[in-house]
Amino acid sequence: MSALGLVGGVVQPVLIVTGSPLLVGLMRQVRARLEGRAGAGVGQPWRDLRKLMRKERITPRGTSEVFRFAPLVLVATTLVVAVVVPFVAAESAVDPAADLFAVVALLALGAVALALAGLDTGTAFGGMGASREMTILALVEPTLLVAIFALSVRVGSTNLGAIVSSTLHDPSRVISPVSLLAAVALVVVIVAETGRIPVDNPSTHLELTMVHEAMVLEYAGPDLALVELASAMRLSVFLGLLANLFAPWGIAAEATPLALLIGVLALVVKVGVLGGLLAAAEVFVAKLRLFRVPELLAGSFLLALLAVAASFFLA
Amino acid sequence: MHVQLLDLACGALLLTAVLVLWRRELAVIIRVFALQGAALAVLVGVLAAHEGSAELWAVAAGVLVLRAGVLPHLLRRALAGAGESRRETRPLVNVSASLLAAAALTLLAYAVSRPLVELAPSAATQAVPVGVTVVLIGFFVLVTRRRALSQLVGFLLMDNGITAVGFLTTTTGAGLVVELGVSLDVLLAVLVMQVLTTRMRETFGDTDLDELRELRD
Amino acid sequence: MNLAATGMAAAVAIGLVTALLAVVRARPAVVGAGTALTGAAAMAAGAAALSGGSFSLVLPGVLPLSGVALALDPLGGLFVAVTGGVAVAAGIYSMSYVDNPDLRARGVQVALPVFVVAMVLVPAAANVGTLLVCWELMALASLVLVVAEHRRGPEVASAGRWYAVMTHAGFVSVLIGLMVFAAHAQGDSFAALRAAGRQLSPVVAGVVFVMTLAGFASKAGIVPLHAWLPRAHPEAPSHVSALMSAAMVNLGVYGLVRIGVDLLGGGAAWWWLLVLGLGAVSAVYGILQAALSSDLKRLLGQSTTENMGLVLVGVGAAGLFASSGDHALAALSLTAALLHVVGHAAFKTLLFLAAGSVLHATGSRDLDLLGGLRPVMPVTTAAFGLGALAASALPPGTAFVSEWLLLQALIHGLPAGGVGAAIAMPVAVAAVALTAGLAVATFVKAFGVGFLARPRSEAVAGAHESPFTMLAGMGVAALACAVVALWPAAILPAVGAAAGGSAVSGAVTLRLNQVTGALSPLLLTLGLVVAAVVVAGVVRAVAVRRVRREARLWDCGGGPMSARMEYTATSFAEPLQRVFDDVVQPELDVDVSHHQESRYLVQAVEYRRKVPDRVERRLYQPVLNLVTAWGRAGRGLAPGSVHRYLGYGFYAVCGVLILLAVTR
Repeated sequence: MSALGLVGGVVQPVLIVTGSPLLVGLMRQVRARLEGRAGAGVGQPWRDLRKLMRKERITPRGTSEVFRFAPLVLVATTLVVAVVVPFVAAESAVDPAADLFAVVALLALGAVALALAGLDTGTAFGGMGASREMTILALVEPTLLVAIFALSVRVGSTNLGAIVSSTLHDPSRVISPVSLLAAVALVVVIVAETGRIPVDNPSTHLELTMVHEAMVLEYAGPDLALVELASAMRLSVFLGLLANLFAPWGIAAEATPLALLIGVLALVVKVGVLGGLLAAAEVFVAKLRLFRVPELLAGSFLLALLAVAASFFLA
Repeated sequence: MHVQLLDLACGALLLTAVLVLWRRELAVIIRVFALQGAALAVLVGVLAAHEGSAELWAVAAGVLVLRAGVLPHLLRRALAGAGESRRETRPLVNVSASLLAAAALTLLAYAVSRPLVELAPSAATQAVPVGVTVVLIGFFVLVTRRRALSQLVGFLLMDNGITAVGFLTTTTGAGLVVELGVSLDVLLAVLVMQVLTTRMRETFGDTDLDELRELRD
Repeated sequence: MNLAATGMAAAVAIGLVTALLAVVRARPAVVGAGTALTGAAAMAAGAAALSGGSFSLVLPGVLPLSGVALALDPLGGLFVAVTGGVAVAAGIYSMSYVDNPDLRARGVQVALPVFVVAMVLVPAAANVGTLLVCWELMALASLVLVVAEHRRGPEVASAGRWYAVMTHAGFVSVLIGLMVFAAHAQGDSFAALRAAGRQLSPVVAGVVFVMTLAGFASKAGIVPLHAWLPRAHPEAPSHVSALMSAAMVNLGVYGLVRIGVDLLGGGAAWWWLLVLGLGAVSAVYGILQAALSSDLKRLLGQSTTENMGLVLVGVGAAGLFASSGDHALAALSLTAALLHVVGHAAFKTLLFLAAGSVLHATGSRDLDLLGGLRPVMPVTTAAFGLGALAASALPPGTAFVSEWLLLQALIHGLPAGGVGAAIAMPVAVAAVALTAGLAVATFVKAFGVGFLARPRSEAVAGAHESPFTMLAGMGVAALACAVVALWPAAILPAVGAAAGGSAVSGAVTLRLNQVTGALSPLLLTLGLVVAAVVVAGVVRAVAVRRVRREARLWDCGGGPMSARMEYTATSFAEPLQRVFDDVVQPELDVDVSHHQESRYLVQAVEYRRKVPDRVERRLYQPVLNLVTAWGRAGRGLAPGSVHRYLGYGFYAVCGVLILLAVTR
């Protein structure tokens, strides 16, 4: 664990925790403006979180510790990912845990915790959300792991620090077919994992169209605040991963204050741009029926497989 | 002298086998079977006298007790419980045809055992074809008789024949142990058949084995 | 006498003494304790063999033709140790699980220690005769145990029949393979086979490999010879299911590694591509069937097919790398596969024992009827939850470490093997990923629907927590899961010794030798715990109102919700079933009953889904039909007349004699 890693391990979680609700606010504002509305402002999610924190803590009758602890597990997994992945600093705080497989699995653990909480409520909404979420998770896994495979072939390792520094040293690799195909596949995966249109509508109120919302229907007060915060953090973490896997320039390579400041700014800009683009795309795309989602995911799987084939045959 | 006695005993074996095939009353068949057991005992006794082996004398005594005493007694007991019908119903192959078949089987037995005899010609081995004939006749009885008791007698005939061949061909004698083993086998078979005939009588009222055909679906 | 020899002798002796005690009707507690002690002795022997001690014993006269030869090397030692561990947990568990007259029957009680002893002796066999005898003894003992509760219904007898036929068909296949092998060697000891294995012609070696693969793969539950597994494992008593699923199926893998890698010396690349393909197909097929199943123990049995498929993917990859010369990667693949064997034994035992606990308390294993077990059976719920986490390949779980190692081996194998590997590796990674995703869905379903929320039927009404020894058995298995998950460095050197090369080193952090990769499960878990504590602290500090209030669930104002409104396992799996409709082809039956007054008013809707095993239907049905037709034709020979049957014998004898007389 180097000084750079240590500093990164402190700066990153703080940045992500404070910045992710702002990211969500930015995306909602972009959507609102594009739809001709005034929007609630970029700081609205933070105001919502503050309001929720002041409310009563409610436990529905008949639920168990799984329901009570799921928001904690969700935030904890995302927090660990925020600490471990090189977002601001090029070296990780806990290098043996900065493995791409481990990070993906940790994020899946958070989703599983929420699904179990949905089942624990014993309502039809909770069960439905859990069932759909698990189906999408199961179908996303092959694409995700094969895309990681494609990225790691040219580096020779799945360690995130190694991948980031290898891309830093050899920028021309980014425009290779391997990278482009893997990037497109990963974009589809991120849309599916974070529950954005066209896979899931984060602002729907119709139960039949819910995936994520259905699982969290019973949460209120600070628990709901944790869930909302975790969902925002997952979005920023995924977008940050996408950014730093393919375009890591600006990341701090030494532990000086200037480099760190540049790193923070670079991350904010990159994630903000990606979030804005995602929000803009959401305006023009309709949500897919649940049973059309596997077709979308199969298409992204094919792209990832082509990326691996390209990395072998074009190497 | 012992050659004549040997031939006499073998002749008795063959004659009793043919009588079993010929007669239809069950009581007569059992008596004839007892006679055959005695003839077998005489055969073994002659061999024992010729070899001077005390073991063979013991075997001869055992054969006499078992095949001329115990087994016929058990068969008579089974017959006593049989009730009215004390004779064999019309066999599958009628008596004349059976006797002709017995003649054919005798010829077959001689043709087959000739190489055996030529291997070690002696007075004892000359009598081996008789033993093989008794085996084949016993098998034939087993196949063509309808009553369970007759079939049992046919099975026991086969065993007598096998024992005879065994003692005639081995110079040192098959030994007490083998004879004991085979006898135990035979005893067990008879006991099982006794139980079977009782059950059959309870179920079908008769011991005609063709009744068992009804069990097939 | 070193520790390995003493351990093996003690295991066999204690096992036989326990069997004798069972013959004289000892109490189940005594038999269970004896089985556990046998397991402990076997673990000691296996551990000693793994750390370098060896033992060999030859008794020429005991078996006709080949004699008994036993020897323990690190590979065998690993499987002996795993079997011993499972036996310890199952033995302790059975001390209070065995309480109904069917399970207390003398035959069943005797068969349990005999089964464990046979399983311990198979990896220690050092010649063909001993291996086959112990294999058959294991099969017979397990058959007695599978049909122990035959009074429960006809499906138990049916399961026993399937199991008996398939295990013996596998035995015949192995027998043929090994006989061909021994015929080309100087003797039937493994040393002679090893010497001859390198000199065999490719055709003969291929025949031997394929025959033994068929037999051993069937025992390991690999598609297409897996049909016995989802039938036999649910119907067997739970401690027997644990022994079969966590110890017996491993011996199929042992046989494959022993014959293919050790005795035949590697062989052609197509062998290992075949193994890899079979493993990948089994893994996906097994977990897909499990995801759609709503019988708790059947789900666990199909999950065993999936895990053995993953192990075979590792073994196949290892063989592939070895045949192209990359021994470092081969060692890594085999280490991953063997570590998965160990981890699977731990979590499958835990899962089956917990399922048995549920069955014992509620009498039902249908997930659609369970639920709400957390308040009445907290320890069992925690145990199953831990097992589900371990099985679903998520950190900090047991399967996560071995799947990570497997993925690392597959990923680094791409440059090595040429075009064959270039196609096989991504497909293998995709298959592993799909199984991981489906496994997560399956175990969320099993745990969430089976244990959480409210009870779905009356079955749960009388449930209560299990007796202490059952909980202790589960505790032993849970401890093993935790050790493999958090501190795999404790057993990785041993697994590396069994795999024939040390591919992973390090204590807190596992570092791969010769390829770049590192992972620290312990640090990951610690990080999670610290983060959770920090978040909980922050929330407590920031939240204004501290007290939790209990409230009603949101029911749209329509009144309290009934148990019928909960999601069942069938409904949970419905999206997956729709996605995989073409592969699975389920039989759906929807029955709508209307009100008397009007056809437009629905009174009740009944939805029934049956997921048939498609492999069975396509592969087994035609074979069974052929055999039935053949049998029907043969019935013409048996009209029911005793005379006819005797006549067959008579004509045969006469015919032979005539032939003899004529051809002299």
